[in-house]
Amino acid sequence: MKKLIASIVSSAVILSVSQGAQAFTPESKQPIKLMVADWTSMLINTEIMNIILSTYGYNVEKVIADDSARYPGFEYGDLHIALETWQTTQEAALASSIKTGKVLDLGETGMHAKEDWWYPLYMKERCPGLPEWKALQDCAAAFATADTAPKGRYLSAPVSWGGNDEERVAALDLPFEVVHAGTDAGLTAELKAAYERKAPIILWVYEPNWVSKAFEGEFVKFPANTPECTSDASWGPNKDATYDCGKPEGWIKKMGWAEGETIWPCAYDMVRNFKMDNATISDLVYQVDVEGKEVEDVAMQWARDNEKTWRSWASCAAN
Amino acid sequence: MIKAMRFAMHTPWLVFVLLVLVLFAISSNSVSLFGTNLRSIPEFMILPLSDWAGNALNWFAREASIGSLTVQTITRNFAELVNWPITALNMLLADGIVTGAGFNKHQLMPPLSWLGLSSALVLYSYFLGGRRLAWLSAIGTAYLVFFGLWQHAMTTLASVIMCVIVAAGLGLFIGIASYRAEKVEIASRVVMNVMQTVPIFSYLVPTLLLFGYGPSAALLATVLYALPPMVHATVLALKSVPTEIREYGEIAGSTKRQLLWKVELPAALPMLTVGLNQVVMMSLNMVIIASMIGAGGLGYDVLRALRRLDIGGGLEAGMGIVVLAVILDRITQAAARRQSAGLNHEVRSPRPWLYLLIIFGATGASFLLPALQFWPEKMMLSTAPFWNESISFINQHFFDQMEALRNFSLLHIMNPFRDFLVELPFVLVLLTLGGIAYVLSGIRLAAIVMGMTAFIAVSGFWEAAMISVYLTACSVVIAVLIGFPFGVYIASSPRLLKPASLLLDTLQTLPTFIYLLPAVMLFRNGDFSALIAIACYAIAPAIRYTIHGLRSVPESRIEAAIMAGCTPTQVFRHVKIPSAYPTLLLGLNQTIMMALSMLVIAALVGTRDLGQEVYIALTRAETGNGIIAGLGIAAIALISDSLLKAWAAKKQHQLGVKP
Amino acid sequence: MTNASVLEMNLAGGHLSAPAATQEARETILSVSGLWKVFGASEKEFNQANGTQLSDEEFAAHGWTAAVKDATFDVKQGEIFVIMGLSGSGKSTLIRSLTRLNTPTAGLLEIDGQDITHATPDKLLELRRKSLGMVFQNFALLPNRTVESNISFPLEIQGISKEDYSARAQELVDLVGLRGREDHYPAELSGGQQQRVGIARSLATNPKIWVLDEPFSALDPLIRNDLQDEVLRLQATLHKTVIFITHDLDEAMKIADRIAIMENGRIVQIGRPEELISAPADDYVKRFVSKVPLAKVTRVKHIMSSASTQDLPGPSVSANDTIAEIGPLIIDAGTDIPVTEDGKIVGVLAKERAIRVLAGARD
Repeated sequence: MKKLIASIVSSAVILSVSQGAQAFTPESKQPIKLMVADWTSMLINTEIMNIILSTYGYNVEKVIADDSARYPGFEYGDLHIALETWQTTQEAALASSIKTGKVLDLGETGMHAKEDWWYPLYMKERCPGLPEWKALQDCAAAFATADTAPKGRYLSAPVSWGGNDEERVAALDLPFEVVHAGTDAGLTAELKAAYERKAPIILWVYEPNWVSKAFEGEFVKFPANTPECTSDASWGPNKDATYDCGKPEGWIKKMGWAEGETIWPCAYDMVRNFKMDNATISDLVYQVDVEGKEVEDVAMQWARDNEKTWRSWASCAAN
Repeated sequence: MIKAMRFAMHTPWLVFVLLVLVLFAISSNSVSLFGTNLRSIPEFMILPLSDWAGNALNWFAREASIGSLTVQTITRNFAELVNWPITALNMLLADGIVTGAGFNKHQLMPPLSWLGLSSALVLYSYFLGGRRLAWLSAIGTAYLVFFGLWQHAMTTLASVIMCVIVAAGLGLFIGIASYRAEKVEIASRVVMNVMQTVPIFSYLVPTLLLFGYGPSAALLATVLYALPPMVHATVLALKSVPTEIREYGEIAGSTKRQLLWKVELPAALPMLTVGLNQVVMMSLNMVIIASMIGAGGLGYDVLRALRRLDIGGGLEAGMGIVVLAVILDRITQAAARRQSAGLNHEVRSPRPWLYLLIIFGATGASFLLPALQFWPEKMMLSTAPFWNESISFINQHFFDQMEALRNFSLLHIMNPFRDFLVELPFVLVLLTLGGIAYVLSGIRLAAIVMGMTAFIAVSGFWEAAMISVYLTACSVVIAVLIGFPFGVYIASSPRLLKPASLLLDTLQTLPTFIYLLPAVMLFRNGDFSALIAIACYAIAPAIRYTIHGLRSVPESRIEAAIMAGCTPTQVFRHVKIPSAYPTLLLGLNQTIMMALSMLVIAALVGTRDLGQEVYIALTRAETGNGIIAGLGIAAIALISDSLLKAWAAKKQHQLGVKP
Repeated sequence: MTNASVLEMNLAGGHLSAPAATQEARETILSVSGLWKVFGASEKEFNQANGTQLSDEEFAAHGWTAAVKDATFDVKQGEIFVIMGLSGSGKSTLIRSLTRLNTPTAGLLEIDGQDITHATPDKLLELRRKSLGMVFQNFALLPNRTVESNISFPLEIQGISKEDYSARAQELVDLVGLRGREDHYPAELSGGQQQRVGIARSLATNPKIWVLDEPFSALDPLIRNDLQDEVLRLQATLHKTVIFITHDLDEAMKIADRIAIMENGRIVQIGRPEELISAPADDYVKRFVSKVPLAKVTRVKHIMSSASTQDLPGPSVSANDTIAEIGPLIIDAGTDIPVTEDGKIVGVLAKERAIRVLAGARD
């Protein structure tokens, strides 16, 4: 409801502004299918791209798909553009999908992905030595619950996210039991409950995300994740095991259906030019996830405030 | 001694022998068969079923073709076709006609005004069910409007309407075919039984492969889920048309088609309406899951609210679903009652033009008064902060007590029970189940039950299946322990019947997701939270059947007992309970079915059972795993269903009563 | 006969049914010979097993049930033929064979000289649409249709125009006395009213053969009596060929021209009511009819002799009256009582004969 009121009002206000765009005719009326997945930054970035493409007259559809389940969709043209592909979880899958020749790497967004073990700051008092990972070896009991004691309880992400935490615990000799949440919300729900009681917790957090803005805390410092860490047992503190390091961090890329390049070259150009940074997106995500605003409103507000920026991405449509 | 003998006669002795065997096998590690340890399933027996299913489906969705058309082209075009009416309904009810998007978005026509639609609904409710139903509709729609849920409720309604139309049409078609040919009936019954027990997540991925992402895939998945009750009701309704009416149709000189459409179906209408009611409720159950693959609406609101831990917001949106469900349920029930109680020439539906006038009048007025189009945000109500505060309050003040409860249950009951089940040698499980089936029914049932058990074993999901059994069993015990006494209490106080039925409807239609998160906050991720969520959902049939069973004990039997000098307790123990026994067993069966259907949802709090396997397969788009793990759940459901039904049938036979 | 002419056929007028003597001359409408209905057996299996010679035990050994055994009879134009038997005697199955709601296992069934046993579906449809009307025990009204719409249903499905079938339905509503309730639904009517709808409906196409399957069994005794009179009244004007099933001997006696009594699938006797009483074929029939007063079933026409003179003194009786009805009159009458029909003397009733009947003497 709010969404429509907003768009009616905004369309009235912006009617004059958008005159410039009317001159541009898209290459094809065929709908461009933007992938939407279940985390907020993806929703916001996709909505921003939706606003940009729609403004230039493209026919846009949003299609809901799962993070890891997207590749067949892209290869068969069910999905055309994704604004976020995280190196942390999707690197290998993206690479192998690109090898089919049916999928394009459309460049980095400028956002930086990081995910790892995370704890609220008040846990520092109970486990001195944090954020160094070695501290966990001695104060696991501070993180224990009745069913894991004497081991600590580490709340990992849903099983489907992967993450190799079981291997990490073994390789680094951490006296922890890995418990998997079922969903993203399950993770944060438990964090919120513990945070309210200042109760012990250590869990998987990813960035960009609103969690680090809503709760005070920090990442554990593990040995840096390198390609060797996961392939070469002799690398790192444990000479006989892989995964003796933290989780990977890195780029967040845009990807696209290769054939789409020939259908909507200018739209693909705009996607390639799209840039976003961690601070901005974290703020937008916070507005949605904590302040409870609608994704559409937040994206539209950003588009209004940054019209110059995104119009510059659309240089191919400007003449 | 005599008592013991009677006990042995009533309860299949074989069960005990086998149980002893089981215990024996556990205590000794030396038991072996064909050189393999009985404890674990030998490697060579595990077949790559998942790969086969996955490859077959991928082939079907990608390569298979009929003539020069690939299956995918056909299904995609079909999806496109289905998309049209969904879009049209959405325009009419929720979005209005909008052109362009982004900065160029214009609304050409508003959607139908809430005032018009709700007034028309209240008028129709009054015609169908009198003042009570009219009030219910009025309060329900007012809730949707004032809590700002109207537009998304209409999106949901649009997809429910489409789904009901398609499912009812398809169900009618299959039902008629089954009614006409016994072979079709047998085939469709088997397929429907499996379909009802395979979790919907299992067929989401194949549906997506075939029909692409978007509302039509969501629609079709929902249709698959809601279809069985319609087929069932159609066959039953047609079979229960009095023979004389059918003969009359023939004597009057009806052709086969006239007989069906002009005689049999109209005469079967009351029962068909009951089937329709089921379809509506099932579709609404699926709303949340459908919104995960692109249906939007209230289900999406719930998911979104929960993602930001706004439990109150999720609850409000969830209650929106409940409101829709209750209104639709009561209206279809009133329609069914009107049909079966007999039509009355004096009660005529108000003229269609009156409805149109109300709807379009209000919509026209909404051009002048935008509040008639969308209720202004400033005047909306919300109770969300209250609920969020409540949960926080409980969390901060009562966590220790709850944690103690959780720890005790986990450490002393649940975990040992889980380990026991997981350690059970599969051969003995196979033989025990087969033995029970043989004693209850015969060799045929034993073969079926053992076949399904063996299927789970060779699928490679044995351990996950046993964890599923453990979770289900624990939840069912809790549901029955709470539900049975509650049902007994309600059954004895008729004044509570109506409010109780509203409560039960709420429990069954309120998306379970909503109590998953508070459960996680208070009981952490893991089995205990899953247990609570499953038990909350499965308790409804436990209560419902208890009430039904106790209330349908023949009055004369109770009077006879009272005249014989029984105290109320004795009446309860010696008359009511034995009479209601078969119904209670069926209630237990239904409770188990509900619990099993919740396993997949419970995976969202981090269980390690078949539900989790299905869920992982869904997120990773592993078609084969999803289907085989889903069939594993179906197999557990069918085993328990057939055993309990056989038991209930046996009891029924002994007591000479019908449930 | 075209659809239109069905509608044009007039309902009113006609004569009282003719004396028994002339019935023999009328043409046979329905002819049944050697009809068997054996559940569980196909025609071929039945013939191979030489079914007509089997005993009940032998049927059971095959897993078959013989519901109708070797039924043979003719029904004449305008006759009321009652099939009577207790439940399980096979009368219901027999009627369903005659209407081809089931397929006879063996035997021949002819309507108007045409073989119906092997009729094609099309021919069967035609037969049902034009020549058969049936009334059911439990009314079998369509619950979703009003009285009028129920009555016009058989016409509607033949594709007759709405105007025509509405007009016809109106006539029938009047005929069965339901004026004012045309727009009621079945659930709003009493049992008796519902069966009136059933009767009107079965007459909608003006069928030649009118089948009534225990039409009044589900009704209260008083209403049953009214409707029996109603059927006699209608028959007096419409002259259908009526096949009437009942388990109630009084009802059979009251309305039948001829009665077939069935026992265990077999027709044990066919005859006029007074014949069954005066000359029961076996003990079964004898036990059955033993309680029926002869005077209640014997009609004047059955025992009168032809008139030799036109000027007999004293009050006259009607040929169709039962002897019981005219009892008081006989006491006061002279030796010979004139029998009149339409104001003319058609015969003479001997007082002594009549008194013998009244006294229950069975010759």
